Amino acid sequence: MILCSLRNIVFGYGNEPVLRNVSVDIHAGEFIAVSGPNGAAKTTLLKLMLGLVKPWSGSIEFTPDFSRSSVAYVPQQASSFNSGFPSKVYELVKSGCYPELGLFRRFHKEQHALVEETLKAVGLWEMRSRKIGELSGGQKQRACIARAMVQQPDLLVLDEPVTGMDAASRVRFYKWMRKVTQTRGTTVIMVTHGLDEARDYLDRVVYLEGREEIDHVPV
Amino acid sequence: MFQYEFMQRAFWAGGLISLIAPILGVYLVLRRQSLMSDTLSHVSMAGVALGTVLHANPVIFGFLFAVLGGMTIEWLRRTYKTYSEVPVAIIMTSGLALAMVLMNMKTNLNKSFSSYLFGSIVAVSPSQLMIIAAVTLIGLIFFILLRRPLYSLTFEEDTAAVSGVRVKLLSFAFAVMTGMIVAAAMPIVGVLLVSSMIVLPSAFALRFAGGFVSASILSVATGLTGVFSGLTASYYTDTPPGGTIALILLMILLVGIGFQRVIQQVRNRRKGKAQTILLERTKQTIEEGVFK
Repeated sequence: MILCSLRNIVFGYGNEPVLRNVSVDIHAGEFIAVSGPNGAAKTTLLKLMLGLVKPWSGSIEFTPDFSRSSVAYVPQQASSFNSGFPSKVYELVKSGCYPELGLFRRFHKEQHALVEETLKAVGLWEMRSRKIGELSGGQKQRACIARAMVQQPDLLVLDEPVTGMDAASRVRFYKWMRKVTQTRGTTVIMVTHGLDEARDYLDRVVYLEGREEIDHVPV
Repeated sequence: MFQYEFMQRAFWAGGLISLIAPILGVYLVLRRQSLMSDTLSHVSMAGVALGTVLHANPVIFGFLFAVLGGMTIEWLRRTYKTYSEVPVAIIMTSGLALAMVLMNMKTNLNKSFSSYLFGSIVAVSPSQLMIIAAVTLIGLIFFILLRRPLYSLTFEEDTAAVSGVRVKLLSFAFAVMTGMIVAAAMPIVGVLLVSSMIVLPSAFALRFAGGFVSASILSVATGLTGVFSGLTASYYTDTPPGGTIALILLMILLVGIGFQRVIQQVRNRRKGKAQTILLERTKQTIEEGVFK
């Protein structure tokens, strides 16, 4: 089933288009990598999909029964954006439940259990009482991923999520994402330069090349 | 000193503003908009000048200008995304220039402006106190009701937008709230020192608080301490209340930073060896536990 369909997308900054006539279909439950050289507009493609920027022309359509509120996003270097943020790791990850809880609903046992489970999954449970500013770059990145995961999204969009992680952590992360797509049916799209490491766990690679062409490489 | 009605009003006004201005400061500092309060106070002064020139209520004009200034900064911030300090510079100079020109149009205005520049908390009128109380109530409702979306917005705007926060609307509402609080705080410390009541308590709290809620509570406690002790000191030493409050808040911040450094150095010396062992253990835990 096609979850999201991008058709003939043209987008640019200033007068210069960075994406020309790009078309991609994202299927539900896929684990996809978006790759390509620097400046190939990989992040821009994600932002278009998320509705953070509007295309100059072309269309982006989601399947009718898809809810926009079931999308979670981890931007590039999300953790370094606000490293002095006065939150403990637990508080930050817990805030991933806010979209579900709205303004007033209180946290219940289930949400606390989910936060605990996710923090254990990313290896930060022992550090839950630390301020996020005290964590290393890779640890902050994992806290941001955990925050996105507690949203229990149907579509998870990650922009270079493994930045700052060591090799062993990167492989474990890809395995975890593979498991999430299989057990929960979550669609995972991530921008990465590390295709060699990730290839074994991916369904497909969307390769942006020279800003004009796009290749879909089945893994 | 409480036998005087003006001192009672001064304590009420200072106390009320201290409940809300430091919370605003926490958000402003984290959003890298610390200078916004300073800018809006200058804009508000232009409003006061225009109100006086037009023989209208200067307080209401000051409020309107501060709110409009906040909205303009927010609009410009979206235009100059890469250089977020540019809108602040544009609006601050525009506000100050307009105020200077308007002040020159009425020669007798300059003298009464000193109370706006340096504040005159002891001269807060009952109607001003009512305005301050109303703004405090609206501000508290705003920050308590919208604490979750504001938290998400402050952490990262794109993530907040994707998770359903109406980022533009909330940012504009926040800018309006900032304008209102700045305009309400102006009679207490004046245009030139208004940011001291907003930024200094939050700068102190952000160094010490462990979490977001505790940062807000600590900033309010710092603000209250600064205002009440500043007013008391000002009464007994016959110094200007606005300046005294600002100096006491600055002193609290400096003493806090110094104290923190001393504690840190003592801890580092004591735990030199223990820390190395702890780091090694932590590293081990991470390697074993990542993405199980």
